[in-house]
Amino acid sequence: MASTKTPIWKFKPLDPKIDRTELDPGSLQLSRDDLLRLYRAMRMSRTFELRLASLYRQGRVVGAVYLGMGHEAIATGVVSVLRPDDLFNTTGRNLSAWFYRGVEPKHVLARWLGKDQEPSHGRDLGLFLADLDHFGIAPYHNGSMASWIPSGAGFALAFKMRREPRVYVAMTGDGATSPGDFYEGLNFAAIHKLPLVVIVENNQFGYSTANEREMPVENVADRAPAFNIPSEIAFGNCVFTVIETASRAIGHARSGKGPYLVELKTFRQRGHGEHDDASYVPKEMREYWTARDPVVLFTKYLLGKGGFGALEIEAIDKQCEEIMEQAVEYAEKLPYPKPETVTERLFAP
Amino acid sequence: MPVVTYLEAISQALREEMRRDPNVFLMGEDIGVFGGAFKVTKGFIEEFGEERVIDTPISESGFAGAACGAAIMGFRPVVEFQFADFIVCAFDQIVNFSGKCYYRWGIPVPVVFRGPSGGGFRGGPFHSQNPEAWFTHAPGLKVVQPSTPYDAKGLLKAAIRDNNPVIYFEHKHLYRRIREDIPEGDFDVPIGVGDVKREGSDLSIITYGATVHTCLEVAEKLSEEGAECEVVDLRTLAPLDKDCFLNSVRKTSKALIVHEAHLTSGFGGEVAAIIAEEVFESLDAPVKRIGSLDVPIPFSPPLEDAVLPNAEKIERAARELLEY
Repeated sequence: MASTKTPIWKFKPLDPKIDRTELDPGSLQLSRDDLLRLYRAMRMSRTFELRLASLYRQGRVVGAVYLGMGHEAIATGVVSVLRPDDLFNTTGRNLSAWFYRGVEPKHVLARWLGKDQEPSHGRDLGLFLADLDHFGIAPYHNGSMASWIPSGAGFALAFKMRREPRVYVAMTGDGATSPGDFYEGLNFAAIHKLPLVVIVENNQFGYSTANEREMPVENVADRAPAFNIPSEIAFGNCVFTVIETASRAIGHARSGKGPYLVELKTFRQRGHGEHDDASYVPKEMREYWTARDPVVLFTKYLLGKGGFGALEIEAIDKQCEEIMEQAVEYAEKLPYPKPETVTERLFAP
Repeated sequence: MPVVTYLEAISQALREEMRRDPNVFLMGEDIGVFGGAFKVTKGFIEEFGEERVIDTPISESGFAGAACGAAIMGFRPVVEFQFADFIVCAFDQIVNFSGKCYYRWGIPVPVVFRGPSGGGFRGGPFHSQNPEAWFTHAPGLKVVQPSTPYDAKGLLKAAIRDNNPVIYFEHKHLYRRIREDIPEGDFDVPIGVGDVKREGSDLSIITYGATVHTCLEVAEKLSEEGAECEVVDLRTLAPLDKDCFLNSVRKTSKALIVHEAHLTSGFGGEVAAIIAEEVFESLDAPVKRIGSLDVPIPFSPPLEDAVLPNAEKIERAARELLEY
């Protein structure tokens, strides 16, 4: 008789070669300011998301909420390597990337509340932002979760056609390496050696579906030979490792050698959305990854080998809390978009 | 004025726009080295080079999405689906990305998607479809379907110059069968404007694409008996020029809608509903529609002929309405 038990996902620890519970910048040369900028983005993101989760539970947010807690090192580290005119797109796990590039928390919150905030004016979820002119954040849609890999190839094609040394970074998840667009986009980019970098944040679950049910290979990066492109697997919760890996990938693409596939192993601390209690995550797995929280690890480094004082770090933490308070005030005060405007801006003039 | 075929008119539009604007480039299967499955782009790769005439792998979603990215960056890509039937492989990119981008963020996507559509030449179920209704239903997309060389050239130029995604269905059975004397030099046909191809006051036949010609044939025949049909060519389905056909129905009081696409949920239903809503007082007869039977377009000649609209079916319906 067939089993009627709910499958229990198995927990596998990281390859010890890439695992770490203590951060070290290795050969990276990062200034004090560089480190603080990274920290601010990660701390602001963590502060924001904790508060957003609490607002959600209080019924003060419109619709569902998706958080990227646990992914902060990836978003921040990758985006820190970009030049101002590089483009990238983000998913719901990359809030810290927006903050690193200068997006204001109060505007993000206003969008989560469905208020009349540029550029979407309530037409789209707080989860989505596209602003090429101010932040280099490219538009995408999430029809299939890989749908921005072909469009990413298109942006990269434009760079190549104009002979611009710019790079497009598509951030995506393990689940998004299943749809056809993953294959079609990378295939096209590889043929034409386009400057497209695909960062796969493998948090080991696509919603509730573990890697073992999503793919027949051990790692997403194992698929790179299908495109004849280089790939790398690294620990996603160490911001230094992310920077190193991303630098190699982005440098490769910028030099005209074509796409690069980066797989960063990480863990999604919350559910797919806040409506999801993620009870399918094995307890052992959660404990293992809690000990590898990227924000906690980086804070420990700064206060330890990094040589920062506790007061300085606490001042930043406090600033983040204040910015969040102001964001809540701003967002809740901002009006909703007027219903009379709902049919406007459908077609460009 | 030179006489050109429908296909030559399309080639001319592409060539002229590519010469005029260096941001225009082409993507599609076999369009470069081979000159296109239907030879629309013959000679293009020699003139414009392989960077602007890109032979894509078979990955409609991939290259449609790539075209969107390039369009956002200021290029004006024209994507060719080898057969319009394959447009469904790119449905998500077209409907959910190109169509919604401007509404969501105010970022325009000036891309054109060309689809050789239609049947009548024994292509079978996957080489004969008319997919326009799937896209007229999606907000944010413009959909055009020219019936003549003049309209084909003018509408394609307009589509390329438009800052929005435009889906351009070119009926492949018209490619070499229809010729017309068209003006030299640059001209465009505005998107969103219909055209009365034949004036008359007894019956409005509202149509687009290949069936325009069949309807004109029927109108000529009925004219010999003293019945004058007005043939309205919609040309653009989205955004629809309602006044063009509503004014016609106000004049004739009778409406017959003809398209080659399947009858059920075909675009004709939309036109019929608008007529019923807005000019009910003018009507002296029910609104009738002709479309292909609701089955996949079959391959074998007697089967295909039974499914597609033809002069006989259109004439029968026209007579019923004229005599009503």
